[in-house]
Amino acid sequence: MALSTATSDTASITHEIEELEAQLEDARARLKLSQLSTKDGGPTPAILKPSPSSSTHFLFLLSDSALPLGAFAFSSGLESYLAHNPRSSTFSDFLPSSVSSFASTTLPFVLAAHRDPKSLFDLDDQLDAAVICTVGRRASIAQGRALLTVWERSFRSTVSEVPEVQLLREFSTLLRESKGEIPAVSAHLAPLFGAICAIVGLSLRQAAYVFMLSHVKALISAAVRASVFGPFQAQKVLAGERVQHMIELMIDREWNTPVEEAGQSVPVMDLWIGRHELLYSRIFNS
Amino acid sequence: MGSPFPASSSRAGDGRLVVKLSPAGASSLEAMTYQYPLKLISPSPSADQKSVLVFILSYGGGLVGGDSVNLSIDVHEKSKLSLVTQGHTKVFKSPSPDIVTSQTLQVRVDDDASLCLLPDPVQPFESSVYVQTQIFKLAPRASVCFLDWVTQGRSARGEDWSFIRWTGRNEIWQRGDEAIGKDRLLVRDTVVLSSPDSLLLGRPLKETMHKTGVFGTLLLRGHLMKPVGDFFLSEFAALPRIGARDFRSAEDKAQEEAAQSESERWSSNRIQKEKEEGVLWSAANVRGCVIVKFGAKTVEAGRNWIGSMLIREGSVAHHFGSEALMCVQ
Repeated sequence: MALSTATSDTASITHEIEELEAQLEDARARLKLSQLSTKDGGPTPAILKPSPSSSTHFLFLLSDSALPLGAFAFSSGLESYLAHNPRSSTFSDFLPSSVSSFASTTLPFVLAAHRDPKSLFDLDDQLDAAVICTVGRRASIAQGRALLTVWERSFRSTVSEVPEVQLLREFSTLLRESKGEIPAVSAHLAPLFGAICAIVGLSLRQAAYVFMLSHVKALISAAVRASVFGPFQAQKVLAGERVQHMIELMIDREWNTPVEEAGQSVPVMDLWIGRHELLYSRIFNS
Repeated sequence: MGSPFPASSSRAGDGRLVVKLSPAGASSLEAMTYQYPLKLISPSPSADQKSVLVFILSYGGGLVGGDSVNLSIDVHEKSKLSLVTQGHTKVFKSPSPDIVTSQTLQVRVDDDASLCLLPDPVQPFESSVYVQTQIFKLAPRASVCFLDWVTQGRSARGEDWSFIRWTGRNEIWQRGDEAIGKDRLLVRDTVVLSSPDSLLLGRPLKETMHKTGVFGTLLLRGHLMKPVGDFFLSEFAALPRIGARDFRSAEDKAQEEAAQSESERWSSNRIQKEKEEGVLWSAANVRGCVIVKFGAKTVEAGRNWIGSMLIREGSVAHHFGSEALMCVQ
C-alpha cells in the first residue's frame, strides 16, 4: 500500500514537473517572440507559435539522421586522417580533435544566428570568409543549401508567419541571384541551422546540442562505413558519457565566443580536410 | 614648469610606417616612428632596390609577458614595402594566464601598391599567452603576400606546444570606395591554440598538433601575387595521390625519370623531401585570395619548404628584391 502511494506520488510529481516545464518553455517562447517584435517595432504576432509541443516535434526532426541534408556524404576529414596516418590512426584520437575543431570554427555562428536571426546574411558572409579550405567549404555549403531546401519545401508551411520567415525568403532569393567570385550569401550550414532552430522554437542550448550531436553522429556513421568499427561499437561511442561530456564542454566553451574570434583549434584538421582531394580512392566528399 | 617638448602622442609599443613613391620613382619611407619595446630599422636604400626594406625588431629579441606592440602601416599608391625580422619573435612566459602579450598590425595598401611580410616564425615559450592580430585593408588593385607561422617553442629545452594560449587572426579586407561603400571582409583566418582547452578534452595540446613542430599560413592577394598563387595551386593539384600504388617496373620508372623536364624533376625532388621531412600542406582559393597552410616536423623543414617554393616561383624576389626572402631561407 505504502509502495503504491509512493509510486503514485512520484507519478504525480513527475506530471507536475512536466507541466511546469511546459509552462516555462511556453513563457520563454512568448518572451522571445515579444522581444523580437519589440526590436522590430512591429506589433506582437497574433498567433503565439511555436508552441512547446511543436518545438519538441521539430527538435526530433532536426536531430533525426533521416533529415535530408546529405550528412552521410561527408566524413569531415576522417577519411583523410585515416589515409594520412595508416598505422597510427585511432578513432578515439580523431573524435575529440574533430569535435573541438568543428565547435571552435562553427558553433559561435549557430549561437549568434539563433540569438539574432536577422544577422543571418552577415553571419553567412563572415563564415564564408573564415572557411579557408575548398573541401570544408563545399561540405558546409552543400548541407546548408539542403537545409534551406528542407525549410522551404517542408517546414515553412507548418510554421506561423513570424518576421524571420520573410527573412529566410529574402535570403534564398539573394542566394539564387548570388554569383561571381565573392557571392553575397553562400548558405553555410551553421548560421542557417541556428536561425531555423530559433524559428521553430528550439532553445539556444538545444540548437547548439543538436548541431554538435549531428556532427558526432555523422562522424560515427562515416567511421562505420569506413570500417573503423561496427554498428554496436558505434552506438556505444554515441551513448557514452564521453561524447555527452565533450558536447557540453564545447557548448560551454563557445557560449560567449564572438564570431569574429571563432577560429581553428586543431590546425592539422585544416590540412587533413584540405588534402582530402588528394586521396587516391574516396568514399566521402570531405 | 612643464616639459618644453610636446607630449608624445604614442604609447609604449606603438609604431608607424608610411611608404610612398618618391618623385624619382622609387619607393621611399615617408615616416617611421616607434616606441619601446618595438624597434624598426630600415637600411639606407641602395640605388637598385625594388622595395623599401624594414626590419621589425624588439629590444632583447622578444616580447616579455604583458608587452603590447601596435604597428600601423600605410603603403601609398604604387610603392612597395618588404618587412622582415631578425630571428624568431620570442614570446616569454606570462606571470599569470590573464596577462596577455600582444602584437597588432594594421595595414593599409593603396592601389598598385604592394606589401610583402615574410618574417621569422613566432616562438612562444612555455607558459606564454599571446594574441596576434593582423588586419590588411586593401584597395582593389593592391597586392599583399604575408606569412604567419608559429613554432612549438624551444624544442631543445623540451618545449612542445607548451604555452598557455596562442591566438593568431589574419584578416584581408577590400576597402570600400564611393561606389562600393563599406569595407568587405574577404578572408578571416584564425587559429586558437589553448592548452587548458585541450586538456579539458583529455589531451595535452602537443597531441592535437600531431608531431608538427611548426605551423604556418601564407596569404596571397592581388594581381602581383597571382602568379605565386597559381603556382601553389597547381603544385598542390599535382601532388601524388595518397594511397596510390606505383605499379611501374624499375626500368619504366628510371626511363620516365630520365625523360622528365627540369620543372618536373624539381617537383618530384621537392615531393620526396616533403615526405622525408613530414611536410603537409594544402592550398585553396578563397574569395580571390590564395591561402596556403603547411605544417612540418621541424622549423627548418618548414622554412626550407616555404622558401624553396617562393624562390622557385620567383615573383617575390622579382617584385620586392631578394632581401624580402631573407627569413625563409
